[in-house]
Amino acid sequence: MNAIDTAIRAAAADIKLIGVTKAYDAQTVVIPPMDVELRAGEFTVVLGPSGCGKSTLLQMIAGLERVSDGKIMVGGREVQDLEPKRRGCAMVFQNYALYPHMTVFENMAYSLKVAGVRKAERAARVAAVARMLALSDYLTRKPGQLSGGQRQRVAIGRAIVREPNVLLFDEPLSNLDAQLRHDMRVELSELHRRIGATSIFVTHDQVEAMTLADRILILNKGRIEQFDTPKAIYHHPASVFVAKFIGAPPMNILPVTGDGSVLRLADGQIVAEARLTGSYQLGIRPEDIIVGIKADGHAVRAVLRFREDLGSHSVLAADLAGSVIRIATPFGADLINQPELFLNLPAARLHLFDAETGRATCRAFAAQ
Amino acid sequence: MVENARSLNIIASLILVVGMIYILGPLYLTLSTASQSYEFMLRNGLAWYPGDQFLANMASIFTETRIPIQMLNSMVVAFSNAAATCVLSFLSAYAIVYFRIRWAGVVFALILATIMLPLDIRVITTYQVASNIFSPLNAVLDATGLNGLIAGIFGTPVQLELSVLNTHFGLVAPLVAHGTGTFLFRQFFLTLPKDLFKAARMDGAGPTRFLFDILLPLSRTSFAALFVLTFLSGWTQYLWPLVGASTPDMQTAVVGLARLVPDSDGQVPDFPMIMAGAVIVSIIPLAMIALLQRYLVQGLVLSEK
Repeated sequence: MNAIDTAIRAAAADIKLIGVTKAYDAQTVVIPPMDVELRAGEFTVVLGPSGCGKSTLLQMIAGLERVSDGKIMVGGREVQDLEPKRRGCAMVFQNYALYPHMTVFENMAYSLKVAGVRKAERAARVAAVARMLALSDYLTRKPGQLSGGQRQRVAIGRAIVREPNVLLFDEPLSNLDAQLRHDMRVELSELHRRIGATSIFVTHDQVEAMTLADRILILNKGRIEQFDTPKAIYHHPASVFVAKFIGAPPMNILPVTGDGSVLRLADGQIVAEARLTGSYQLGIRPEDIIVGIKADGHAVRAVLRFREDLGSHSVLAADLAGSVIRIATPFGADLINQPELFLNLPAARLHLFDAETGRATCRAFAAQ
Repeated sequence: MVENARSLNIIASLILVVGMIYILGPLYLTLSTASQSYEFMLRNGLAWYPGDQFLANMASIFTETRIPIQMLNSMVVAFSNAAATCVLSFLSAYAIVYFRIRWAGVVFALILATIMLPLDIRVITTYQVASNIFSPLNAVLDATGLNGLIAGIFGTPVQLELSVLNTHFGLVAPLVAHGTGTFLFRQFFLTLPKDLFKAARMDGAGPTRFLFDILLPLSRTSFAALFVLTFLSGWTQYLWPLVGASTPDMQTAVVGLARLVPDSDGQVPDFPMIMAGAVIVSIIPLAMIALLQRYLVQGLVLSEK
């Protein structure tokens, strides 16, 4: 660990949003009042479909968009009315946004130059960051002469050279090809472990979210659906939206009715025992379904429609009580000519959501 | 095209040759006439072949006409026109592209309208304004009735008067009001990454620093292209310098060339000398193109390297 790592770690600050709102007028509310707290040094991924307001949220924290109402606190300081440069935030953009006419060195040193840092110190800090990002050999090149991954590293270097309190990422990997994206993900993860900057990373890619985040903030239409660790989000989704958004293929959602002793599917088949009454939405992950070829216990009967063999496992799509259910299973070949499947849905793996609101309800089977 | 028909090639070449004769013919006649003597022309009419009087004709342009001083005028007009247009267009395009302005679209449309309403159409009203640049203000004061009020209080209405006719400023200013440059810069700015402005703001650079540190260096080639174009158009302006300048010492070289043809009837103009003058006057724009042609092409292509 060298000086610049420590400096960045020391600069990391916590962020508090208190009632932050973005509205263009009374009808178009992009983000209804939002309260959220991000810990210092934490890597938060803001995840959501396009148009959910995640970029707007990031730009409000950065100071590129005005806040309609509410407070943004960075390290206990109220910043929502400050210029971007006074907030201590740095940002990495989707299309790099490097200055095309400046060399890599000049790109990284520009913010220091604007801030009036002396030349010798500028050079030293850029050199340290360049070493950290393996860019030392490219300092005299222009961005046009670099590959996509190198440009992205320059953009990251430009952001961290200022030793910001908060590091903001606006879908920085979406312009890269699949292989490079994977490499950069690993690199970012390592970098974060090393410098420990408070980071907010906006993306619509759940893989990035799952692999990078300390905690994931899932946004839907400007509202927080769930804010938790990747593990908790995967295993205990707080709503149908989260359940369907995370996982590939996503969680299966089936409408069920409880009569006080058992839960029945739309066609009357019993899936589980539970002392519940009324309508619910039942969720189960494709990999949690146990496939059999004969009925036993509470196995339900489904008709196989097609299968995709992915090598490591197969994804089966089957008709179950009027909806399509997806099953990830290591079995494959022996099911080819088997039109009828018996699916066992383990009670411990079932998720129950309110039929109306889509929010998760108490998991009534776990006790049994 | 990958067509390889012989007859097609021949026809294409023929068209090319005709086009070249059409363009180069008059150019050749200019040069050959410029190298003959006045007497030769009186005797033979058109000079189909070059003579040996070229330098003598050139010399007489410098000794007998006001072309040299008029070329200086042209220089001042063309240069100021180009410089002012570049600065104005750059700033207006910056405002239109990078700031959220109410009615930005309308403003841009109005700027574009100047392209469709060239100076040649507006020459009479432009002359009126140039003869008293306060005349629009006076008209507004009269129309709103403010002048009646002022006359009631101070005893006399406001009637300001300042003529810029027959000055360099008066020659340049109407030429600068032209939207091509704004359009050129706007299109160029739109090709730049959108996040550049945000990135600069995050780096702590305000709008002014962004303008000088980022936008200006990136716009170098566009500047060069626009500069050459407006310089050439300023140099070759005819109608406005003709009406805007009344004394020979204030006229531009192109107007001066036309004035070398005597006004009185019956006298044959000294075409060899006039052609020599035309050659001299053309040298500056030719040199300009030769030197800056590379930027001209780059700037008009409007793309990033």
